[in-house]
Amino acid sequence: MWRNLLSIRQVSRRTISTASRRPLENRVPEKQKLFQEDNGLPVYLKGGIMDGLLYRFTMGLTVFEDFLFSYHNNE
Amino acid sequence: MAHQAHSYHMVDPSPWPIFGAAAALLTTSGLIMWFHYNTSTLLMAGLLSMLLVMLQWWRDVIRESTFQGHHTPTVQKGLRYGMILFITSEVFFFLGFFWAFFHSSLAPTPELGGQWPPTGINPLNPLDVPLLNTAILLASGVTVTWAHHSITEGNRKQAIHALTLTIALGLYFTALQAMEYHETSFSIADSIYGSTFFVATGFHGLHVIIGSSFLTVCLLRLIKFHFTSNHHFGFEAAAWYWHFVDIVWLFLYMSMYWWGS
Repeated sequence: MWRNLLSIRQVSRRTISTASRRPLENRVPEKQKLFQEDNGLPVYLKGGIMDGLLYRFTMGLTVFEDFLFSYHNNE
Repeated sequence: MAHQAHSYHMVDPSPWPIFGAAAALLTTSGLIMWFHYNTSTLLMAGLLSMLLVMLQWWRDVIRESTFQGHHTPTVQKGLRYGMILFITSEVFFFLGFFWAFFHSSLAPTPELGGQWPPTGINPLNPLDVPLLNTAILLASGVTVTWAHHSITEGNRKQAIHALTLTIALGLYFTALQAMEYHETSFSIADSIYGSTFFVATGFHGLHVIIGSSFLTVCLLRLIKFHFTSNHHFGFEAAAWYWHFVDIVWLFLYMSMYWWGS
């Protein structure tokens, strides 16, 4: 059964190039390698550029809201 | 790379706890602004922050466990204690609303007509949609257990089917309950009956939505090969939460829908 599954993977690799096909490939080992890289980055930034952007957006939003809160409560 | 001589997880410094606290402050004060001054800006901003913090914090927990391997058996034991304590606190939360219900319904005041349900209230028929909802949640308890067994047996396809079915049942319950809310002849403003009914069932519905979301995240992780047959605590935590939600419904059904009609 496993060999059949492998052959399906071979075929689908040849015919389709998108990632959205069955069966889904196990990408966990790649992720494990990425997140265990010894680059000194904390886990919340270790995934790539998007992590930093999302972090900055969240921080910006929260700080902005703090001002909004102070404004509403100090009228 | 530093090595530790213990099996605990010393987490990286993280901004999510303080951002989460800020988001909670903004959401609660946003609620006040919405209730009393009819402006929802602060509330929307607070809810958005809460969502962002939850997504990133839990994303990091998945990274720390599945990708970095920090969740040793010791750490997992702590997480189990944590989840049990959290669910216990939720039990007490609901206990309060049940207390309120029984306080008012066991000794109905003259203002209510000295009876329960109060004069003029037409309660929902407990043998109609509420009974179907009971069957739905009980069935979903079976399917989530089926999913768990499939995971421990290494049967990936079956686990995905069972978990998908569990989530579908949860969504079905939510849709039916929303429809019921629309169909009631009474509202939350209709005496203490309306208050106790909608606050208790409303918070329960919110917990069904939270539980369904938790299960959906587990489904995505299951599909992405995050779980192994003997290490899948995220799923177990979601399953415990789901059983809790089911049990609360059973108490709601027996007390408010059935006895209270």
